[in-house]
Amino acid sequence: MAVPQQRAARGQWYKHLLLSPPLAFFAAFAIFPLVFTIYVSLSNWSITGEHSFVGFANYANILGSETFRQSFLNTVIFAVVTVLFQYALGLALAVLVYRTTRGQSVLRLLLLVPMMFTPVVVGFVWKTMFDPSYGPISWLFDTVGLPAVPWFSEQLPAMAAIVTADVWQWTPFMFLILFAALRSLPTAPLEAAMVDGASGWRLFIDHMMPMLLPASMTAILLRAIEAFKLFDVVYLMTGGGPGVKTSTVSLAAYFTGLRSGDLGTAAAMTTILLIVVLIVTMILLRLLIWAGRRRRRADDAAALQVDRNDPALGDAVEPPVSAGVR
Amino acid sequence: MGAKGWGRRSVLFLWMLFALFPVYWTLITAFKQQVDIYDGPKFLPFVDFTPTPQAWTTLFGGGGDFLGKFWNSILFSGVSSLLAVVLGGFAAYGLARYRYKYGPYRNDDLSFLIVSQRIMPPIVSVLALYVVFVNLRLLDTAAGMILAYTAMNLPLTVYLLRTFFEAIPVEVEHAAALDGYPRSQRLLRIVFPLAAPGLAAAFLLSFFFAWNDFLFALMLTFNNAQTLPLYITSLNAQSQPLWWLISAVGLVALIPPAIVTVVLDRFMSRQVLIGGMR
Repeated sequence: MAVPQQRAARGQWYKHLLLSPPLAFFAAFAIFPLVFTIYVSLSNWSITGEHSFVGFANYANILGSETFRQSFLNTVIFAVVTVLFQYALGLALAVLVYRTTRGQSVLRLLLLVPMMFTPVVVGFVWKTMFDPSYGPISWLFDTVGLPAVPWFSEQLPAMAAIVTADVWQWTPFMFLILFAALRSLPTAPLEAAMVDGASGWRLFIDHMMPMLLPASMTAILLRAIEAFKLFDVVYLMTGGGPGVKTSTVSLAAYFTGLRSGDLGTAAAMTTILLIVVLIVTMILLRLLIWAGRRRRRADDAAALQVDRNDPALGDAVEPPVSAGVR
Repeated sequence: MGAKGWGRRSVLFLWMLFALFPVYWTLITAFKQQVDIYDGPKFLPFVDFTPTPQAWTTLFGGGGDFLGKFWNSILFSGVSSLLAVVLGGFAAYGLARYRYKYGPYRNDDLSFLIVSQRIMPPIVSVLALYVVFVNLRLLDTAAGMILAYTAMNLPLTVYLLRTFFEAIPVEVEHAAALDGYPRSQRLLRIVFPLAAPGLAAAFLLSFFFAWNDFLFALMLTFNNAQTLPLYITSLNAQSQPLWWLISAVGLVALIPPAIVTVVLDRFMSRQVLIGGMR
């Protein structure tokens, strides 16, 4: 970053002015709510405003409460299952579309359509799709002779329905990032490997996957952060039901805080959620950095391989680091 | 190659069926009447059921709340995205051009700190915001919602735009300075126009997130400042949801994100956004 000296000296007040609005918003909408939430979680604050300090009583209560434990478990299950499905499907679609030459751009845009739906609408659409009496999926099960599934009145089917809706909406997001990454890969090393006689799978596992790792980790990180916030689709499809069997932490905090007016307990729930999200993000960020290093090694190896195959071609290849991690 | 090509095509076809059938279902549901919905699934217009524009005349025929909520959504998303892009643009420019040191925090740390807000689940801050909004009388107001959405999108615009400004050579600005442009003019007349693709992408992404928000609107509005997602859920209040209306509003709500996606897809294929992601 080139910073000219004379401007750096004269720009002192100016540069602080530039950065102050986001920092002010950060203080008002992140730091303050965070501190406030932690404070509330240590009190028995009710929605009417009366409160006194109760220490860690709220935490002790929710750790023993079946509602919270079920919601927490569900949040983790939803996050792991949806992100895994979205990644695997997104990657497969990216590779398949990448290999499709005819009508690729139309195909790509059609694939993105589910992402354009407002999450609230996604919840409703899949609620009708799964409706036991007038939904097309129940009709399909009936037509092909499968037993009727009580989609929203039992835990596993309800969770499957929610996962389906989330995977439907967000697989395109994974596809979008992975497809763009796939297209940015240098083709010369892959061609070189093909000349060496690498088969389709080996080519994919040994050569493409290492180069796709940074984009993969970025996509997984972004989706995982969102997945832990899961609220809209569950709220609309099942309302957390039957009972609290499909509830998530966000949903439980909403019902406890605003519907039952127990802000203290709700704040404790969200504080625990935040801690978990931070830990998961930290781990995934580490993996992302590791993936970046791995990618650079793969690029270097690929460049070497190109050199070995054809020195003239090796010169034509763009410097591998330029395509790597910033 | 032939056999493989078929395998690829059938997998893609199956996915397309899964991805697009719910879209088709929403489309036909928006032209159904109550009886066509609750009598079991009807798939083909004119064959299984007679399409009716009833939902659409209800929405646009006036009288209902639809147009007001629709306008709220446009207004809140548009104004907050504009604010996020302008304020975020200034900050991103600062981070790209000047050296900061606030205690131990330097440019990269500040940038990460700002973007880290997106990691925090909104449910964490929204309970606190509810209490604050009650006290500042911002609950259920346009100003409150615009502030909340600006805060939601600022981290994204700062983070995204920083890479764009860093890509603009500083020599361009030196040249403008020699030509006698004052500092504010350089920023608005020279730097911002050069970063126009980035500003557009940042605006569209911000719009997308504000438009799709449900949790903030659910917690912080109850009547005047309700947005489209809230209107949609209100159609579900009855024992039998008004599916035809929900579907029709859903299709209308699809338009802005569709524009955003098409434009962003163009950006992605031109590698504009990838730089920030690697």
